[in-house]
Amino acid sequence: MTSQTHDKVVIVGGGPAGTAAAAELARHGLKSVIIDEAPKLGGVIYRGPLRQTDSLPHLDDNLKRAMTALQTRYQAHSDSIEVKTQTRVLGPEGSNQLLLSDNSGLSRQPYGHLILATGCHERSVPFPGWQLPGVMLLGGVQLQLKSGLVRPGQRMALVGTGPLLPLVACQLHKAGVDVVGVYEASPFAKLAKEAVALLNKPKLTLSGMSMMSYLKKHKIPFKYGWGIVSAQGKEQLSSIQVAPYDSQWRAQRDLAQQVDVDAIGVGYGFVARTQLAMLLGLEHHYSKVSGYVPVLDEWHQSQNHEAFVVGDSNGLLGADAAICEGQLAALRLAWQCGKITESQLSARSTKVKNKLARIKKFRFGFDRFSDRQSGLLSLAQPETVVCRCEQVRREQLDEAIAQGVKDITSLKMRTRIGMGDCQGKTCSSYALDYLHEAGLTENIGVIKPRFPLDPIPFTLME
Amino acid sequence: MKSLKRTRDITPLPSRNFKITVDDQPVEACEGETVLSVLLAANYARVMENDRNVASGAYCGMGVCHCCQVKINAKHKQRACQTLVEPQMSVETLANRFKEEGIKHD
Repeated sequence: MTSQTHDKVVIVGGGPAGTAAAAELARHGLKSVIIDEAPKLGGVIYRGPLRQTDSLPHLDDNLKRAMTALQTRYQAHSDSIEVKTQTRVLGPEGSNQLLLSDNSGLSRQPYGHLILATGCHERSVPFPGWQLPGVMLLGGVQLQLKSGLVRPGQRMALVGTGPLLPLVACQLHKAGVDVVGVYEASPFAKLAKEAVALLNKPKLTLSGMSMMSYLKKHKIPFKYGWGIVSAQGKEQLSSIQVAPYDSQWRAQRDLAQQVDVDAIGVGYGFVARTQLAMLLGLEHHYSKVSGYVPVLDEWHQSQNHEAFVVGDSNGLLGADAAICEGQLAALRLAWQCGKITESQLSARSTKVKNKLARIKKFRFGFDRFSDRQSGLLSLAQPETVVCRCEQVRREQLDEAIAQGVKDITSLKMRTRIGMGDCQGKTCSSYALDYLHEAGLTENIGVIKPRFPLDPIPFTLME
Repeated sequence: MKSLKRTRDITPLPSRNFKITVDDQPVEACEGETVLSVLLAANYARVMENDRNVASGAYCGMGVCHCCQVKINAKHKQRACQTLVEPQMSVETLANRFKEEGIKHD
């Protein structure tokens, strides 16, 4: 390996975590390459508009400031950061090398050091009618608002849990969408209990309160302790049924109400995106909030591998925490490369660690509020499809479990769940929860990511 | 063929734009946009028919779920949410190779 290759830090993912890591590395004289599948840095949260626009009337100033801050952080160090956009990592190839694909074909990216900042994707909860066109995940709705500058529907409702619900409701309304209702699964009393935790980030709490008053002012119903039951429509979505949820988030179907809509956003949580970390062989453990996450030390370096993992891909804490984690990993790497002394490492990291600790206290409050309950699993009826790619129905899982299947790999072999184009990213968190609910908790395993992580057209393999 | 109207743009398109076709109908698009944004702007909810003959619309919108795959410039299974528009691009919704070639699953 040449010395140049040996020094090269490769960062997978150019969201808040990856960009913060690259900027921090540059500050200490280390060059890096950021690889991102999108056309622009920023990640789903801060990417911003993909086309030219004179204004962003539907987005709040806090978001616009954060989007600018990320671009500024990158611009200040752009001489030291090479950016490969619209580029996907297909997996490791040999040692210290990744296989990439972009519009021009396949290429190889050698690395001396690796930082994974691959973010998260949404946790899917199957319910009758969830495959109807018009049913979208909350993040997909937001991407259309923030990056596409397009209204995903004309008359919409939001269902799910957590702080994203009021935020997206406000953005939709400001974008001209008729928002007919927002249904938060958790009861208000549970949020009130977290008042102390929420005070760790008073500005964020205030901004949440101002969103709630915006919704009230515009007469947009926000119902705590309510959620989705089903979606209806012939060729595409025309209405949903929503109902009060009990403390276990079981829908009280006898109290269900119909709401006419042409699109909805569904957001019952997120899952860390760990497919590349798993292919690289990093050790993982299961967390209820984030799914499987890598086992890391306090600097976010893997316990059994040299790679660092930062941001939501090592546990869901959001963008502010992702920035802190990117900085911590970069500082540690700068120290390992002899660019800063131990006392410099300690001086600079203490502040970042303190900030991260405050964010965690705030975030854990919301995690307790949004802690998903088992009632969600019973939204899917026996005939409801739970794996979209392979059209596997819930009753097929029941049958396999009744016949003695005790782990997710056997479940996959029996039913084909997780074997389609998405490699199980859409169905595996439901399957895991379903096995847990069936009383299977020991060694149930994980739907293993497959190389290549993204489909390669035959034409590229010549 | 009649042009498709874009009715869901939050802010006006820039004046410099071009045309793509969706199911042989011309529609305005501009640099930087994804195919999915153009489809949604033109009121297209149903975009894909999967290998098991089930129609779907964009679901995750970020390249994860593979539920918005369309045929682009004669190539099947292109994710609308991950593909940027180009002048003269031809997009076909609900196109499926199994269906076109009469191949049955199972």
